[in-house]
Amino acid sequence: MIGVVPPAYDPAAPTTANTLPVGAPATVRAYVRELYRRHRRAFLLLVGVNTVAVVASMTGPYLLGGLIQDVADGTGAAGALSDLHLERSIGLFALALVVQAVFVRQVRLRGAMLGEQMLADLREDFLVRSVGLPPGVLERAGTGDLLSRITTDIDRLANAMREAVPQLSIGVVWAALLIGGLAVTAPPLAPAILIAVPVLVLGCRWYFKRAPSAYRSEAAGYAAVAAALAETVDAGRTVEAHRLGDRRVRMSEQRVKEWTAWERYTLFLRSVLFPVINAVHVLVLLSVLLIGGVFVLQGWIDVGQLTTSALIAQMLVDPVGLILRWYDELQVAQVSLARLVGVRDIEPDAGDASVRPDGRDVLADEVNFGYREGVDVLRKVSLEVEPGTRLALVGPSGAGKSTLGRLLAGIYAPRTGQVTLGGAELSRMQAERVRSHVALVNQEHHVFVGSLRDNLRLARTGAEDAELWAALGAVDADAWARGLDDGLDTEVGSGGTALTPAQAQQIALARLVLADPHTLVLDEATSLLDPRAARNLERSLSRVLDGRTVVAIAHRLHTAHDADVIAVVEDGRIRELGSHDDLVAADGAYAALWRSWHG
Amino acid sequence: MQISDLPYPDPGVPDARSGPRFLLWLGRNQLGGQLKSLAWGLLHFSAVAGLPYGVGYAVQAVVDGSGSRLAAAGALIVLLGVAIACGDTMLHRTAVTNWITAAARVQQLLARRTAALGAALTRRVAAGEVVAVSTGDVEKIGWFVEALSRFAAAALTVVLVCVGLVIYQPALGVVVAIGMPVLALAVLPLLPRATRRADHQREKAGRATELASDTVAGLRVLRGIGGEELFLDRYRRASQEVRRAAVRSARMWSLISAIQVLLPGLLMIVVVWYGVRLAGEGRISVGELVTVYSAVMILNYPLRHFEEIAMAYSFSRPSAQRAARVLALERITEPAGGLRDAGVPTGDLFDPETGVLAPAGRLTAVVCGDPDLAGRLADRLGGHPASRDASEPADPAVAEPSVLLGGVPLDELPLDVARTAVLVQDKDPVLLSGTLTELLDVPSSGSVRPDEALAAAQCTDVLDALAQASLDDDPMNARITERGRSLSGGQRQRLALARSLVTDPEALVLDEPTSAVDSHTEARIAQGVRTLRRGRTTVVLTSSPLLLDRADGVVFVHDGRVAAVGEHRDLVRSEPRYRAVVTRETDEETAVAARTGPTGFTTGTGSGSRASTGTSTGIDTDIEIDIEETA
Repeated sequence: MIGVVPPAYDPAAPTTANTLPVGAPATVRAYVRELYRRHRRAFLLLVGVNTVAVVASMTGPYLLGGLIQDVADGTGAAGALSDLHLERSIGLFALALVVQAVFVRQVRLRGAMLGEQMLADLREDFLVRSVGLPPGVLERAGTGDLLSRITTDIDRLANAMREAVPQLSIGVVWAALLIGGLAVTAPPLAPAILIAVPVLVLGCRWYFKRAPSAYRSEAAGYAAVAAALAETVDAGRTVEAHRLGDRRVRMSEQRVKEWTAWERYTLFLRSVLFPVINAVHVLVLLSVLLIGGVFVLQGWIDVGQLTTSALIAQMLVDPVGLILRWYDELQVAQVSLARLVGVRDIEPDAGDASVRPDGRDVLADEVNFGYREGVDVLRKVSLEVEPGTRLALVGPSGAGKSTLGRLLAGIYAPRTGQVTLGGAELSRMQAERVRSHVALVNQEHHVFVGSLRDNLRLARTGAEDAELWAALGAVDADAWARGLDDGLDTEVGSGGTALTPAQAQQIALARLVLADPHTLVLDEATSLLDPRAARNLERSLSRVLDGRTVVAIAHRLHTAHDADVIAVVEDGRIRELGSHDDLVAADGAYAALWRSWHG
Repeated sequence: MQISDLPYPDPGVPDARSGPRFLLWLGRNQLGGQLKSLAWGLLHFSAVAGLPYGVGYAVQAVVDGSGSRLAAAGALIVLLGVAIACGDTMLHRTAVTNWITAAARVQQLLARRTAALGAALTRRVAAGEVVAVSTGDVEKIGWFVEALSRFAAAALTVVLVCVGLVIYQPALGVVVAIGMPVLALAVLPLLPRATRRADHQREKAGRATELASDTVAGLRVLRGIGGEELFLDRYRRASQEVRRAAVRSARMWSLISAIQVLLPGLLMIVVVWYGVRLAGEGRISVGELVTVYSAVMILNYPLRHFEEIAMAYSFSRPSAQRAARVLALERITEPAGGLRDAGVPTGDLFDPETGVLAPAGRLTAVVCGDPDLAGRLADRLGGHPASRDASEPADPAVAEPSVLLGGVPLDELPLDVARTAVLVQDKDPVLLSGTLTELLDVPSSGSVRPDEALAAAQCTDVLDALAQASLDDDPMNARITERGRSLSGGQRQRLALARSLVTDPEALVLDEPTSAVDSHTEARIAQGVRTLRRGRTTVVLTSSPLLLDRADGVVFVHDGRVAAVGEHRDLVRSEPRYRAVVTRETDEETAVAARTGPTGFTTGTGSGSRASTGTSTGIDTDIEIDIEETA
């Protein structure tokens, strides 16, 4: 077999940048140390029971060695004595066996308990960190990267924590004890096993330099096969309408080709590793038997010692296999751990507890803002929203309406200038305080997996059922909600009772009623709905808006028409500002659009 | 079959009558691979089993004080070592090749089946099943396929060794031969319970992952409005449930491990006790005793394959069952009367069911009060509607009449021809992941360039956004993520529209193509589409005045039939029901407008004042009705 080069296409290569940081090696090391400190007792316990199990497992070969010695020495003369010795040995053997069985069970169990506890800590830690991320970071980075970390990376770590860490510690202790046992049984023989070490080290170094990244690519390639198919299924209508069936089949086959190319490469890697490991085992056994045999012939050790040593040498197969099996899993886990720990590197946005708003006036003063250095999306925007008024932002896509809305909701801080609420700067306020005053409502009307009650209570923790029903009633949602089989206990969200988009949006509105902020920023809140469903929803919405200050990023002109003040945003600036009638009279861009829309 | 030859040029026609039959079919297709794997496995296991003989021979040589026989034993062990290494490596290579070729074949079959089912898939429960087969079941099927030949080799080896031992050392050999089957079968009764617990753990873990990803997906909502602690508590509970389920499962597996230590150990003690007595009496030699002892020790290794195959089969059977079910799905598009053999027709697009007529070469807008009906109408306009599940041939007596294009019933044309003639862009078109170039590379007439289509669909700002995300600043090379999730709803809609425009079909049907686009842009899109599609048949289902105003003609459908035809401006004035749908009047206002006549039309009051009147009970019933319609 000739060498196989790694395939040129790497499915694990990132197609988009990490939007969140990845932990530096030092951070990862510190985290691992902390993890160890937290679980030191369980870890030491595992090593302890493992030691007992391994020592008990060596009793068999040791006793057999003694018996062999007896048989080899003894001839008929010591027959009676030998019998007694035999029975004692068998008794000891049986005892050791029971101890070994009990402790092997404990090793498996303790290993799993330790692994599961570490894993639970890790995933809970990560979610705690994730929900503490500043809203600005989330808006900017999106939740995609975070989502892939909590699914893919936690999955990979699950294997490592559940199996690799306990199994590796078992394997290392086991191998060390066996080698120790060999050294105790027949001290002159111990160096014999060193002959195999260089082969093992060279082979493993070659393999482990290539294996982790190759396995990552292989796994990504396999996932890509399934992903291509899932997409074809998901897009069934589109695929058929555009006659893309053949292309999707070719695409799937291309993915199969890319994946199997990596399978072929990793198979080659193992085709090198396997003979090395086999050679090591045979070398160890061979050197113990031949060198030991010569030593026995020379009279330096006896037959019993040789037998015990040979049997122990054979037992080395298991721990070595265990170590090699799980070592690369640990390397893969390291990468995932770095991605999880990376989230800890983001400064939680503490805010200044002393910054409190005095009043409800929202004011933007000479605001400049851009997502990237040197490119401002908003330029010199000044705006005042008086309490209780409705401001509509209109303008073409990409003009900066949504960005302005997010600045007014305190999610982003302006590059220069100020956005204040009641005279206090929003960007310096604590996120928890900001949201008790201002809420951003966007197209994302996420219904969480769980009960309807949980879905509402998140807005006011500890709310009574009566308050929840009142909130549902306020958005005209109580009729269908009462029709649900289990009322507030009904499981909704993916996998539960399916809600229509309109119902989901009503839940989002009911949350607003519960959270009760005095200012709302609406970003195309109803735009993804069917126009007719949207109309009924607007009735619910209008009740929620009643008495609050509203900044609406208007999507449909009727929303703008209903507003007290309309700001036409174009190219990062406010071009026109005034009431509907003012703007129509002014006969500018807004007026032209209104005429066209209204017919 | 080599891995490097994958994918299969043709994955074949599977026997999908049942799970076991499907497994059998897969096995028959890689019979050569299975036999190769079996042969290498036999070499490997028998060499491993031969090792104790070498060890025993060496110890006996030392007892006898023979250096030359010790050297011979060494040579024997080297020989066995080479056989073990070759056998191990080649067994692994052949077995893994079996699993990869089987997995690749199943994935290819799934891809072909999915493409053939097309739109019918989304209507069925099967959509989730196809994905489940591809993500989970293929691996389990592959596992069984891979383990099968290893098991066969191991089983043969165990039998051979037992027979060998009986011949080599009858007294001890019989003990081992009796003990082995017990060892092989001892833990089998425990396996179902252990796998059930493992399943339970997996289920809990899946639930926890779902909760975590759901929390993260809705994190912006949580951070915007609160409730983080509520969801963290919930996740902590789920996470601890996973931990407890995993430990419960580990209890069972650790018991199995203990039994796997205890039983061979007991056999070993019997062998030693009996063997030493035999040796003491001089009936067997020391070397023979060591051989039997290490044989028992080493036989544990092939024995493990008995458990593996039992587990692999119990896991893979339901998987194969599901795969077979999915692969047996069919979409029948052939009508009872057979297919017409015709080219792509041209002419007016006419739906006899509703009476909607879209004259050839013109831009017709269709207004439908009921969004559900609009969706069904759009679906029907393309022929072979997916909503009529074609798993059973339509009964001609009750079937809806087919839509006609230039007088030709589309349902009677081959599916591919019908799709070529009419492109229906549904309300939720999916953007397939890939670069923008790949997205717009669809089968088309070739006369509309991608840049023209992008310009008509007003995609300039999408291109800007994509250029930023692109590695080389060329938006055409920027990657669009799955379902275009990185783009806003409006951006997705405009890209989908551009893709439909590139296709440039004989007749293009667009269902609410701009519902998520702002008014400024919508007006420009209306103009762009109109210009680009000049002289081609286009149907737009919409209620947006900006689009309606630019259509050549408007058809108003009410209660499933055409109620009025004309121009937007005229219909607004003359048809109150039409006005109710396309303007933003509330129902109360419609009532007012109806009472005061067409001239009493108002443009709607402030939503605040509407809210104050909105507490009447009439609204609740109205919403109830609406939910039924949209559900």
